[in-house]
Amino acid sequence: MPGKYSNEPMLEMYIFETSQLLEQLEHAIIICEKVNNYSIDAINEIFRFMHTIKGSSAMMLFNEIGSLAHAIEDLFYYLREQKPESVDCSTLSDLVLEGVDFIKIELEKIKAADTPDGDPQKLNDKIKAFLSLLKSGNPSEVELVRPVSNKQQQYYISPDKKADEIRQNRFRATIKFNDGCEMENIRAYTVIHSLIDTANEVFYIPEDISENEDSVLWIRENGFEIYFATEENYEEMNRFFMQTVFLKSLDLVQLENDDEFQQFNKPKKSVIENNNEIKMPQIERAINKEQTIKEMAGASNQVIISVNVDKLDKLMDLVGEMVIAEAMVTQNPEVKNLELENFHKAARQLHKITGELQDMVMSIRMVPLSTTFLKMQRIMRDMCKKLNKEVRLEVVGEETEVDKNIIENISDPLMHLIRNAIDHGIEENDERVNKGKERVGKVTLEAKNSGSDVLVIIKDDGKGLKKERILNKARENGLLEKNENEMSDREIYNLILLPGFSTKESVTEFSGRGVGMDVVTKNIEAVGGSVTVDSVEEVGTTITLKIPLTLAIIDGMNIRVGNSRYTIPIITIKESFRPKKSEVITDPDENEMIMVRGQCYPILRLHKHYKVATKITELTDGILIMVEQDDKTCCIFADELIGQQQVVVKALPAYIKKTKSIDGLGGCTLLGDGSISLILDIGGLTNRLT
Amino acid sequence: MKENAVHDLFEEEEDTQKGKFLTFALGNESYGIEILYVTEIVGIQPITEVPELPEYIKGIINLRGKIIPVMDVRLRFKKSPFDYNDRTCIIVVDIQEISIGMIVDTVAEVLSIPEQEIVPPPDINKSGKKYIKGIGKTGSDVTLILDCEKLLDEEEVEALIKFDN
Amino acid sequence: MVTVLIVDDAAFMRLSIKMMLEANGFEIVGEAANGVEAIKKYKECKPDIVTMDITMPEMTGIEALKAIRQQDPKAKVVMVSAMGQESLVKESIISGAKTFIVKPFKEDHVIQTITQIAAM
Repeated sequence: MPGKYSNEPMLEMYIFETSQLLEQLEHAIIICEKVNNYSIDAINEIFRFMHTIKGSSAMMLFNEIGSLAHAIEDLFYYLREQKPESVDCSTLSDLVLEGVDFIKIELEKIKAADTPDGDPQKLNDKIKAFLSLLKSGNPSEVELVRPVSNKQQQYYISPDKKADEIRQNRFRATIKFNDGCEMENIRAYTVIHSLIDTANEVFYIPEDISENEDSVLWIRENGFEIYFATEENYEEMNRFFMQTVFLKSLDLVQLENDDEFQQFNKPKKSVIENNNEIKMPQIERAINKEQTIKEMAGASNQVIISVNVDKLDKLMDLVGEMVIAEAMVTQNPEVKNLELENFHKAARQLHKITGELQDMVMSIRMVPLSTTFLKMQRIMRDMCKKLNKEVRLEVVGEETEVDKNIIENISDPLMHLIRNAIDHGIEENDERVNKGKERVGKVTLEAKNSGSDVLVIIKDDGKGLKKERILNKARENGLLEKNENEMSDREIYNLILLPGFSTKESVTEFSGRGVGMDVVTKNIEAVGGSVTVDSVEEVGTTITLKIPLTLAIIDGMNIRVGNSRYTIPIITIKESFRPKKSEVITDPDENEMIMVRGQCYPILRLHKHYKVATKITELTDGILIMVEQDDKTCCIFADELIGQQQVVVKALPAYIKKTKSIDGLGGCTLLGDGSISLILDIGGLTNRLT
Repeated sequence: MKENAVHDLFEEEEDTQKGKFLTFALGNESYGIEILYVTEIVGIQPITEVPELPEYIKGIINLRGKIIPVMDVRLRFKKSPFDYNDRTCIIVVDIQEISIGMIVDTVAEVLSIPEQEIVPPPDINKSGKKYIKGIGKTGSDVTLILDCEKLLDEEEVEALIKFDN
Repeated sequence: MVTVLIVDDAAFMRLSIKMMLEANGFEIVGEAANGVEAIKKYKECKPDIVTMDITMPEMTGIEALKAIRQQDPKAKVVMVSAMGQESLVKESIISGAKTFIVKPFKEDHVIQTITQIAAM
């Protein structure tokens, strides 16, 4: 769209809003489908969504999206106005969802700065065919082509002025509108509408300017011709017409006599101006009571604004820096030992406020999982339809909130797990009956808080995992590192998370695309989470994703090695202690281990691991920190502990990440004195040891 | 209208920056980088070492809350290391949206070198020379003009890491 | 400076109109996403002109138009309509809207319309 400004923010807004509408739309449809009924409210809502998408798309010149939205809008217009009794809900849902998918794909193209070149013609035809089928299946008494109003309004005679025809000036005005201004007939109507305030007798050509499409073409070609009588003079009327919006040309002629008026005067079918008569029926319907009740809720919706995530990240950074700056001021060595009662009082106040600010910013970033869970419902629906299985999805705790950045990372794994559950887990309905199970399978998707983590649990009541098959497969692929007989059930089940493992031989459209459970694990680990599998044969499988609430702030223990500082996430620390010489064991490969309460743990010397120069190389001079993640434990050797602190996690600079991914480093953070500490990724470190 | 104005301004700025180089010294040699890459110059700062990186990436620094990597340009060019002193500078550059600090012996001045005074580097396959985009002449002095993008080139860096290991 | 209140349930449309108007020296004094809000905002910011979308949740543009005109018979309201909404636009005109623009609209059309209505 040409203009004097950049199109960028509009494009951004278009993408944002359209995606949001599609999401709501999808939600509405899935709910309707569940109850097998499209309520009036839902129809209204869907109509409006499509109306908005149509308008915005046309503005952005995404005409294909616009035409599809238009087709769906027409369909719902019919449903809204006509309220047909028999509607095939299932087909209707399919059609609309197909439309949603089409627009989603196009949106992705737009996001990637590609041309949205999909052709919705086929889908449009399908929608139109469905609409005509609806119409034939639900014949209405009145054929409805948008409300038809009185066709006889070609002239007005003000009732009170009719008698007083003397001293009247008669005029003929021919108006042409600017090209491309649209709805010329209604523009003509607008002119007439204000003209009748000053004129007494008004006739015009074309006569039918309210509904007739042809009148638009006529006006475009020949102009709109008005004959009227008024007490006003030529200048006054000229000024009146010049005010017309989109006026291209005006030809105003004062008539000498009323000859030209006679042509209109034969069939006196005068319609007396009456506002109430032209009221449209659907308007009244729109303002029903339900709407007024919803007003309250709707108004409060507007309290919510949408913010670009980049801005939030920036805000988060700034607050993090402020927390550090606060520490630098209040714990400044130059003031630390001074007796400054008021200063310390003020400092405490500042500390309290910055803490609250930090909490607040954190909470802004938290979003409920409901949108993600909703997506799963859609996937579930599509899968069941395709596979012809009946499966019930139970969603628990969708209001649970996690950091925005994390949400983005768990959607794909969840999708994969749900597909797995339906495709591989849940049996065919008949098979279930034979087994004495409930005919309809059930998948539960649950989220709940657990300390500083969120657990997302995907549970099915299907056939469960077969230990023997897992072991066979693992053996074939050389994935067994332990003696099979020593493996716990859990260890066996968790084998399926390893790269290169896939139990299902037949590849199905949904879940066998070469991506296995290892992708799930990888994605979840990328956000600092973990995956566990539990299963009971013939009873079902439960997969638990443990995800940190946030990535942005952690409770950390700062440690020192030589001149370097490291931060260990507190949740991974089990204990720290100064070892005794007698407890340290060295195996023939020079691997050091320590015996704690009869258990043996490997020792990881940070100074060796990261080649840091330090004077403290005797284990007995430094400190051991026992850490555990993903059921793996080790003892990290450092010079000393510095102290515990909440730290803001920052990513390592892009250049460094690009250069090399460093094992065991999760990021970095700024300490109170402005120095940088490297955050240890305990999972990465312990993995390296085993 | 606004957009255009901003654009014009930018163009103008780019124009005035064209042909201007920030020169710095490494030993006896004078190097130049295009001024438009430079965001600021700071004195030497405490550097936090990051393990497992090539030797010439000295670590990361805290630049007013922003954490950026620093590269020792001497080591990058396989020259002998030099102890940092109060003349040592970090030139912060922004190249392809990557911020990085370049540690140099000292920063000299901003020079205008007209295009016709810049000649392509001789085709010698000696290490270091491939980062030189051209040689600028000002009077009797010679400035080696760095190809900043090559300096950060991923493949080169990767190749070097392999080499280091 | 001519002040404008933009009423539309679609944020995209509000942004479009806002950018067009602001680039041409109009001042946007408020935005509303439905009819109820529009009435409230009109009272608050007394704009010279209102651009009013027709299809909105909670309360349609036409209802809001009527309410605003009742509050202030001199209110200048420009309807924003889509193609195919002829009868609704007509009702708006009867209910006191000054004129209308049709989506998808071009910048010069919007500016021309608003400028002309402002001058009335």
